[in-house]
Amino acid sequence: MKKIDKSKLEDLWGRLAAEQDLFLPVQQDSVVNFALWQEGSRVNLEAVNSLLPPKDLLFPQSEKIFSYKRREGELSFEEAPGSGPQVIFGIRPCDVRSIELLDPVFFKEPADTFYKNRREQTTLVSIGCLEPDTTCFCTAFGIQPLDAEGADVMLYDMGTAYLVSPRTEKGEKLAEEMGELLEEAAGAEEEGLQQQQEAAASAQEHGLDLDGVFEKLNDMFDHCIWEKFYRRCLACGTCTYLCPTCHCFDIQDDGSPEEGQRFRCWDSCMYEDYTHMGHGHNPRPGRRERVRNRFMHKLNYFPKDHDGVYHCVGCGRCVQKCPVNLDIMQVIEEIGKEGVGGEGHDR
Amino acid sequence: MNLTEKMRQEAAQILESKEADLVIGWGGGEYYWQSPPLFLEDAAGAAELAFSPFIVNNLAKYLLEELESHEKAALFVKGCDTRGINRLLQDHRIQREAVLLIGVPCAGLADREKLKAAGYDAGLLQVERQGDSFILTLEGEEGAREVPAGEFLLDKCLECRYPNPLVYDRLLGEEVQKPRERDPMARVREVQKKPVDEKYAYWQEKLSRCIRCYACRNVCPACNCRECIFDQNAPRWVGKANQLSEKQNYNIIRSFHIAGRCIDCGECQRACPMDIPLMEINRKIIQDLTELYGEYEAGIDPTDVPPLGTYRAEDPAGFSER
Amino acid sequence: MTANPILPRRAVVEKILQDTPDTKRFFVTLKDGEPFNHKPLQCAMLSVPPVGEALFSITSSPTRPEYLEFAVKEVGTVTKHLHYEVQEGTEIGIRGPYGNGFPIDVIRGKDLLFIGGGIGLAPLRSLINYCFDTRKDYSKIQIIYGARTPEDLSFKEEIFENWPKEDARLNLTVDVESPGWEEFVGFVPTYLEHLAPTPEGVIAVTCGPPIMIRFVLQGLEKLGFQPEQIITTLELKMKCGVGKCGRCNIGEKYVCQDGPVFSLAELNGMIPEF
Ligand SMILES: Cc1cc2nc3c(=O)[nH]c(=O)nc-3n(C[C@H](O)[C@H](O)[C@H](O)COP(=O)(O)OP(=O)(O)OC[C@H]3O[C@@H](n4cnc5c(N)ncnc54)[C@H](O)[C@@H]3O)c2cc1C
Ligand code: SF4
Ligand code: SF4
Ligand code: SF4
Ligand code: SF4
Ligand code: SF4
Ligand code: FES
Repeated sequence: MKKIDKSKLEDLWGRLAAEQDLFLPVQQDSVVNFALWQEGSRVNLEAVNSLLPPKDLLFPQSEKIFSYKRREGELSFEEAPGSGPQVIFGIRPCDVRSIELLDPVFFKEPADTFYKNRREQTTLVSIGCLEPDTTCFCTAFGIQPLDAEGADVMLYDMGTAYLVSPRTEKGEKLAEEMGELLEEAAGAEEEGLQQQQEAAASAQEHGLDLDGVFEKLNDMFDHCIWEKFYRRCLACGTCTYLCPTCHCFDIQDDGSPEEGQRFRCWDSCMYEDYTHMGHGHNPRPGRRERVRNRFMHKLNYFPKDHDGVYHCVGCGRCVQKCPVNLDIMQVIEEIGKEGVGGEGHDR
Repeated sequence: MNLTEKMRQEAAQILESKEADLVIGWGGGEYYWQSPPLFLEDAAGAAELAFSPFIVNNLAKYLLEELESHEKAALFVKGCDTRGINRLLQDHRIQREAVLLIGVPCAGLADREKLKAAGYDAGLLQVERQGDSFILTLEGEEGAREVPAGEFLLDKCLECRYPNPLVYDRLLGEEVQKPRERDPMARVREVQKKPVDEKYAYWQEKLSRCIRCYACRNVCPACNCRECIFDQNAPRWVGKANQLSEKQNYNIIRSFHIAGRCIDCGECQRACPMDIPLMEINRKIIQDLTELYGEYEAGIDPTDVPPLGTYRAEDPAGFSER
Repeated sequence: MTANPILPRRAVVEKILQDTPDTKRFFVTLKDGEPFNHKPLQCAMLSVPPVGEALFSITSSPTRPEYLEFAVKEVGTVTKHLHYEVQEGTEIGIRGPYGNGFPIDVIRGKDLLFIGGGIGLAPLRSLINYCFDTRKDYSKIQIIYGARTPEDLSFKEEIFENWPKEDARLNLTVDVESPGWEEFVGFVPTYLEHLAPTPEGVIAVTCGPPIMIRFVLQGLEKLGFQPEQIITTLELKMKCGVGKCGRCNIGEKYVCQDGPVFSLAELNGMIPEF
C-alpha cells in the first residue's frame, strides 16, 4: 500500500486544487465546515464530522436552475451552467454513505441533472474515524468508522502519515495526480492498520438496536409515541438542514418581470409551509404530524422503497444540535420497546 | 431532598390536586448534557423530571401553544426565564391566572463546550452542582472529580443579573446570592472598537454561516408575534435563497423587531446551530436603546412600557401610519 | 446529457375564457411545436416568472391536441398572476406532464360513472372527452356533476351544449335553490345517493373538494361499489413534480409520480395523511 506523509498534505492540496475544485473541512470559530481550499485555509482533519454535511457540495443549499428574460413579450430560459470536477477531501464514512442514500433519490427517473452532473464529477477522499464522537452511531447502520465502502480513495490515519487506498477508477486517477508525493508504506504500518481495524471492530458497541424498527413502524402511524416527542419541538428544521441524507427542497423565483432567476433551496418537512396548500388545507397541520413524518421518513417510508435501508447514517448531527434534545437514538429505542400491535396503538 | 425530588413532588402534587392540568419542566436524556423539555399531564410521569446544571431551555414560549388546549399550566422557571414570562404577560400573550410558576433559583448552568474543551466530554456521565463546584461523574476507575464551577459556567450565567425568579407562585429552594462575574457589554465594546471595514467583514463572516433555520426566532420569548413577517409570503419580505444579503436582512430585521423586548436570555445564541454570536447584536441594540432612551431592562416589570412600545405626540420623529 | 426535468418549455397563452366567477380557462400552445404527450388526468407545471410556478390538471383530452387547456381557480400568488397579469398572447413556461395519469386499460369495455364537484371537473373533463372520442371502447357513461350555484359550474358549453348530445347520462346539481335552476338541488353525495347507480360492471371516477370526495367514497361503498371499482385523484402541495422535493408524500408514495390517480383499494392501503 502507498502512504502520504502529513507534512506533504499542503503540497498535495495545492496540486489537486490546480486541477479541480478542492473542498476540505475548514475551521471558522468553533465551526468546521467544508469549504473551497485556498492557501492558508485553516484545515481541520481532526474534527470528526463537519457541522454542515458535505451534501451542500452536491445539492447546494440554494442553487440556480435557470435565468429567464422577457424581451418584447418573448420569454426565454437559460439553464444554469453545469459545474466542473471537484474533490471532497476528508469526508467521513457516514457522510460517504449519506451520498449513497441521496443517489437513488436524485438518480431516479427523471434524474436530477444538476445533482447527477456534480456527482459524476466528484471524487470522494474519505478519512476513517479513529475516535468517533460520543454521539456517533453509524455502526448501528452497518457503517464502519474506519472504512467507507463508497469512497473513491480511503485514507487511514497512521499518526504522521495516511495510508492511501484508491478504490475506484476516479480514485486511481487521483492517486496518479498525487504522483511522487506518495511513498511505499512500510510493513509495520500495514500491520498497524490491521490492528486498528481489529480494535475498531471490537469497540463498536453502543447498544442501539435497529432490528425490527422498520417493521414495527408499519403499524405505528397512529401510535401514542409521537405524542411524547413532538411537543418540545421548535419546528426549526435544524435536524433536517444538518442532516446529510435530507434532500427536500423548495423552488422559488427571484427577479423582475423582465429578468431574474429560478432557484431551488433546501426545505424541511418540519416547516408548516412545506405542505400548506394554496387554498388552506394542510395534511400535516401540526408539529405532531411533522415530527412523525421526519422519523417515519427516515425509519420507515424510505426503507420501504429502498430494500429496508434506513435514511439515517448515525452521524449524530441532529443529536448534537437539536436545541431541545429531540434525540433520534432515543426515538429508535422507544420504538424498539414497543410490541407490534400492543398498547398505545390507539392514541 | 434534592432539587430533582422536589421538582417531582411538586409536579405530582399539582397534577393530583388538579391545580393545573399541565406541568412543563425538564427531563433527563441519554447524555449528561441533555435536558429536554418535558410535558406532563398525569402525576405518574413526574418521575421523569430531572434537575441538572443543563436545564437551559426557557420553557415560557411553550405556553403560547399549550394554553390553547389547557386551562392552566404549571411551569418551572429560572431567573432568566421569568423575564420571558413577564414579556409574554406584557404583550398580553398569556394571562397570569393561566400559569402557575414554580421558581427555581439558579446558581448558574454548565457549558458543555467548555467541558469539552477541557477534555471532559467522552466518558462523562453526569454533572452535579455542589456549592462552588461541579462534581463530574466519570466512566471507569476514577469515578468522580470535583472542578470549580466558575470555569465551566455558561457565559450568559457569568453575566447574569437575575439568578432568582422575578415572578413566581412558589419557590423551590433558597434564593441564591450570585455576583455578576462578567460585564455583558464587554464583547460589544470590543467589536465596536473595530474599524468599520473590519467590523463589516466580521459580521459578514459570522452571518454567512446562517442557514436560516430560524431556531433563534422560534426559541425567543420576545419573538411572539401571532404572524411573523418571515412567514408571510405575499409579499415575501426576505427571500429564501442562501445569500449573504438575505441572511443579513433576516438577522437585522429580527434584531430590530425585538429591540426593547429582548430579555437578554441568550436562548437565540444557544439554539443557533451555526455558532453565530447573536447576543453581540442584541446587546448592541440594548446599549443603543440605553443611550437613546435611558436605562431599560425588558421583562423585569410586566406593567411598564418598553421604550419602543409607546408613542408620544411630541415624538420628534413623527408617526407614520403606513 | 439528458434534459433537465425541472426546466420549463416555452409556451404561449393563446386564449383565456372566464369559466366561473373565480376560475379562468387558459388555452396554451408550445413554442417548440413538439407534442406534450399527456394522458388523461396528468398535470403540468405552469411557470410565470417572477412569481413562480404551480401545478394544474390538463383539462383537455389528448385526442384534441390543438391546445393544452387548464382551468385555474384563483387562490394564491401564481393563480392570481395567471388571472390578472397574463393575457392572450403572453408567453409562459410549462413542464410536464406529471403524474401516473389514468389507467385507461382498466376501463375499456366498462360502464363509466364520473362524479365531479366544482373545479374537480377539470381533470375529469380530460378523461370524459377522451372517452367520448373513443366512445365505442366503453359501454354506458354517466356524469354526475355539481357546484355551489349554477354560476359556479365549470365548462358550461360542455355540460349544457356538447355533452347532452353525446351518448351519456348527465346529472347536474347545485347546492342551493337558484332562480331558473330546474335540475337537482343538493350536494353531490346526496344526489349520488338519490340516483343510486348500480355497481355491476361500473368504474366510478371522482374528483372534487376533499370533503366531497370523502362522502362520495362512503356513498359509493354503501351502494355496493368495491374499492377496486372506485378511482379518485388527490391534491397535495407540489413543487418539483418529479419525486425529489419531498413534500407531496403520503407515506413512501410521492403523489406527483405515483399518483395523483389512485383506486380506493390503493388508498385504503396507504396511511391516512392527505
Ligand atoms: C395534482 C394537482 C392538480 C391540480 N389541478 C388544479 C387545477 O386543475 N386547477 C386549479 O385551479 N388548481 C389545481 N391544483 C391546485 C393548484 O396547484 C394550487 O391551487 C396552486 O398551486 C396554488 O398556487 P398559488 O401560487 O396561486 O397559491 P400559493 O400562493 O401557492 O400559495 C403559496 C404558498 O403559500 C402558502 N400559503 C398560501 N396561503 C397561505 C395561508 N393562508 N397561510 C399560510 N400559508 C399560505 C402555502 O405554502 C402555499 O402553497 C392542482 C393541484 C394538484 C396537486
Ligand atoms: S432540531 Fe429539534 S427543535 Fe428543531 S425541528 Fe428538529 S426536532 Fe424540532
Ligand atoms: S437523522 Fe440525524 S443522525 Fe441520522 S443522518 Fe440525519 S443528522 Fe445524522
Ligand atoms: S421528508 Fe423530512 S426527514 Fe425526509 S428528507 Fe425531507 S426533510 Fe428530511
Ligand atoms: S433575542 Fe435572544 S436573548 Fe433576546 S429574548 Fe430573544 S432569545 Fe432571548
Ligand atoms: S439560529 Fe442561527 S442559523 Fe438559524 S436562523 Fe438564527 S442565526 Fe441563522
Ligand atoms: S412534488 Fe416534489 S416530490 Fe412530489
